Amino acid sequence: MDVLMEGRDIHKLYRTGEVEVEVLKGIDFQIFQGEFIVVLGQSGSGKTTLLNIIGGMTQATTGELHYKGQPLHNSDEQQLTLYRRNEVGFVFQNYNLMPNLTTFENVRLAVEIAQNPLSVIDVLREVGLEAWADHFPSQLSGGQQQRVAIARAIVKNPELLLCDEPTGALDIQTGIQVLKALQKLNHEYHKTVMIITHNAEIAKMANRVFYLKDGLLDYVKVVEHPISPEEISW
Amino acid sequence: MVMLRRKAWRDIKENKGVYLACIVVIAIGLMIYAAMSIVVENLDKAQQVFYSETHFADGFINVTGYPENKVNSLTYLSGIDQAEGRMVKDVRLIDQQKDSNRYLRMVSINMTTPQKINQLRLVTGHLPTDNRSEILVDPQFLQANHLSLGDTLKVIIEGKQATFYITGTAQNPEFIYIMKNSQDLYPSPTDFGIAYVPLSTLKAMVKEKGQVNDLVITLKNGVSFDSVKDSLQAELKPYGVQSIVPRKDQTSNAILTSKIDGLKSEAKTLPVVFLGVASFILYSMLQRLIEQQRAAIGTLKAFGFTNQEVILHYLTYPLVIGTAGGLLGSLSGIALSFPLTTLYKQYFALPGLKSEFSVKYLLISLALAHFFSLVSGVKGSLDILRLEPAQAMRPATPITASKTRIEKITWFWQNLSSQAQMGIRDVFRTPTRSFFNVLGIAVVFSLMTVSWSMQNMINLLTVVQLEKVQTYDVKLQLAHPSPTGTTTQALTHEAGVSKVEPVLEAPGTLRNGWLNKEVVLMGLTKDATLYNILDKNGGRVEVPDQGVLLSEHLAIILNVKVGDAIYVESPLRREPVGQKGESLLVKGVVPQYVGLNAFMEEKQLQRFLRQGEISTSMLVKVEPSQVGSMKSKYLNASNVTTTESLKDTGDKIRKMMDSFGFTVWVLAVLGGITGFALIYNSSIISLSERKRELASLRVLGMTPREVLLVITSEQWTLYTFGILLGIPLAYGLEISMAQALSTDLYSLPAELPPVALLGAAVGTAFSVLVAQSRAYYKIKSLPYVEILATRD
Repeated sequence: MDVLMEGRDIHKLYRTGEVEVEVLKGIDFQIFQGEFIVVLGQSGSGKTTLLNIIGGMTQATTGELHYKGQPLHNSDEQQLTLYRRNEVGFVFQNYNLMPNLTTFENVRLAVEIAQNPLSVIDVLREVGLEAWADHFPSQLSGGQQQRVAIARAIVKNPELLLCDEPTGALDIQTGIQVLKALQKLNHEYHKTVMIITHNAEIAKMANRVFYLKDGLLDYVKVVEHPISPEEISW
Repeated sequence: MVMLRRKAWRDIKENKGVYLACIVVIAIGLMIYAAMSIVVENLDKAQQVFYSETHFADGFINVTGYPENKVNSLTYLSGIDQAEGRMVKDVRLIDQQKDSNRYLRMVSINMTTPQKINQLRLVTGHLPTDNRSEILVDPQFLQANHLSLGDTLKVIIEGKQATFYITGTAQNPEFIYIMKNSQDLYPSPTDFGIAYVPLSTLKAMVKEKGQVNDLVITLKNGVSFDSVKDSLQAELKPYGVQSIVPRKDQTSNAILTSKIDGLKSEAKTLPVVFLGVASFILYSMLQRLIEQQRAAIGTLKAFGFTNQEVILHYLTYPLVIGTAGGLLGSLSGIALSFPLTTLYKQYFALPGLKSEFSVKYLLISLALAHFFSLVSGVKGSLDILRLEPAQAMRPATPITASKTRIEKITWFWQNLSSQAQMGIRDVFRTPTRSFFNVLGIAVVFSLMTVSWSMQNMINLLTVVQLEKVQTYDVKLQLAHPSPTGTTTQALTHEAGVSKVEPVLEAPGTLRNGWLNKEVVLMGLTKDATLYNILDKNGGRVEVPDQGVLLSEHLAIILNVKVGDAIYVESPLRREPVGQKGESLLVKGVVPQYVGLNAFMEEKQLQRFLRQGEISTSMLVKVEPSQVGSMKSKYLNASNVTTTESLKDTGDKIRKMMDSFGFTVWVLAVLGGITGFALIYNSSIISLSERKRELASLRVLGMTPREVLLVITSEQWTLYTFGILLGIPLAYGLEISMAQALSTDLYSLPAELPPVALLGAAVGTAFSVLVAQSRAYYKIKSLPYVEILATRD
């Protein structure tokens, strides 16, 4: 498999006033095209920071990051914006939908800036929300809202889909629905998917699992036989 | 970006009250700006056109009598281009009503040689015929007295009755603001008008034969009036010069010009106040909106929206407000300029004074609206746009985690309810935002204070002038300077008269370096009690043995203070060779609300004029029952031009003050609306920002009124600080307002009584309460279950 992204000695330091916190302390990793990766780790281990750096949402303090062989670590704000716009799709734990746009409009919002978008209706059908297209977020359940967020992320047709605790706020059944949508995207559209979670069971459906501990990549586990979301025991 | 536009539109719809409040405040500012600017332009243009088309004179000279055939020879004096002579006579109209006081100023017109200076503009009818008793009158006099062309007017001219037929109406650049004299303060077309009579007709009725008593001149290009004044004075000296006035000091022109100047400065400052408040509102609103949408901004950036796209999206809000406020303000301002221009037509007889749709001010207003709204929009959105998307997605770090200062006053803090603590803490944790709100409240409070104190200004002026300064019952203005002793004696023997005091009033020029002012020098006896000069505390000030007392306004114009010397000249002075005037010491500066005078001891003024013991008017204290008969007796006397009772003066002052009333109340109402908009905005945004907190309080079982306390405690805190800051601001505004409204005819006392401060505080509090009642209904209908179920 081709290397989609490679990170070398990634450090991230946050400064708040006089207080400095080193969240990532030198991480090396590779992400291959079409992989399904799950990132596990305790709170404060640096999972979200790593995801943000991979997604171009923030810059590493030091270290190198390459995407499709091109350096990302010295990109300026404009280049990072283009990277996020054309290559990355985000799914957040809190959905972050625009409350005053309908399901359809929330998804359409992403289409307006995408280079090669998919059809909004097709994507909504894929996530099972075709019938809810005219509803506002406040009229949807948590699972439905998260599926809108997924639809919004995939409609741009990104290479890399990054999900921060996508099932964190959902019940089992809804969580399974969401994970199925993500797996389908990985299997059928060959998109690279990276999920951050606290739930170790979800790791069983990944190709590889990154274990983070205290800002370091503790180890990487290859899953020989990934299972389907329905097989996960919650 | 259709979806972003749709999002913006829905955001605006959801918060329409707040956006509407901003639009209204911007519209108010621009309405004032557009209306006043257009009126200024209309007045300015009409004045310039009328002056130029009718060849308005550069100088006005009043003489006892100057040979008609010599008038042309004045053009031989260096600098003078043209000169014309006229007869000008004030005549009283004979009415059914015995003691009526209606006057006409008859100005002769030469029917054989067309006038070159101050040309007449015939409005209706036709010119009078030579040698016939026909006149033209000014249109306002005709209208106010319900007269028609062909009607007759009976007048007393030099003690004899005469009847004139009205053949038409006409206007003249010299009489745009028509007043009998500067004591009149205000045009009263019912009581005083201008009439134009053929010179031949007027000559036949007066005793001066072959003479004129009024001269008008124009100057050659580039010549200043001061440079010809001396040679004119020398030439006219033997003919009894009473006044030589340059165009800038000519009453009608001076008032029109100062009105235009006043309007110009108001058109510049008032809109800035309103647009400034609108900017505060807009800034705080957009800042809160953007803070609330922090996660949305992070999401947009995470999805790859560029900073420009995000900023453009957030500029949609101020752009909508700017466009709507700009259009509403400019169009209503343009519409308002029509009735306002018509209103000024009542005071200024300016042909060609009309308003028209102004594309210029439509565009300027729109540009201003966009400038003010976009500046606050950009300022409000830049901070968050600087954040990385990952940062923007996280909730903002609390501004301060430590206790706010107010919490350190423990006895106060512990007695507050939890809701009040929440509200007040927010005021101190967002100092910039709170500062803008406090400033806005302070501005609104000070606007209201000035409106409230206006009534006080009017009362003070009226009471002081009528009860303390002018304590006479009747003032007789003598036709010519008369011997003091005999005139006083004669009047003392009239029935019911208890006191008579002579007054000598002489036109004069006061100079301090290059600064100069034409005023009336007023000579009073040292023990005068019928006209009192008062100091700031209302204490009586005696006229000094030597030197002069100046009114405050005059001292400001001449930039002099007590102890300085000023050079005083008067056309009435019989000057010794080489002594045009005298240098006199300023012995005091005193407040003077009505008139603009320099006061001297009467004997000193007589000595200065070198005309012997003369007086020009008599102040009389007479039993109230005798006032009417005294006025009637002297109405037709040839040696008395006017008789005026204190009541007439009071009526004039009150009428003038009424004309301010409307403007000031409009200002108060606009201030109130702005205050409401400011507080309403603050409460609604505070409400939407805290809707999750407030929804939680509702779920806890608090009533809407208990929940409202979070909002109200924040607002009353802002209100308290706003009032505290507003007090010095109100004092500043009061002083500048009094200066702006003061003219040569009157100056307004800049005093701020506690009742005005209290009234404005109550008015501002009312705005707060009305805004809070709207917030209460919002809290009552808060869909708290839905809010708590939705993730932002």
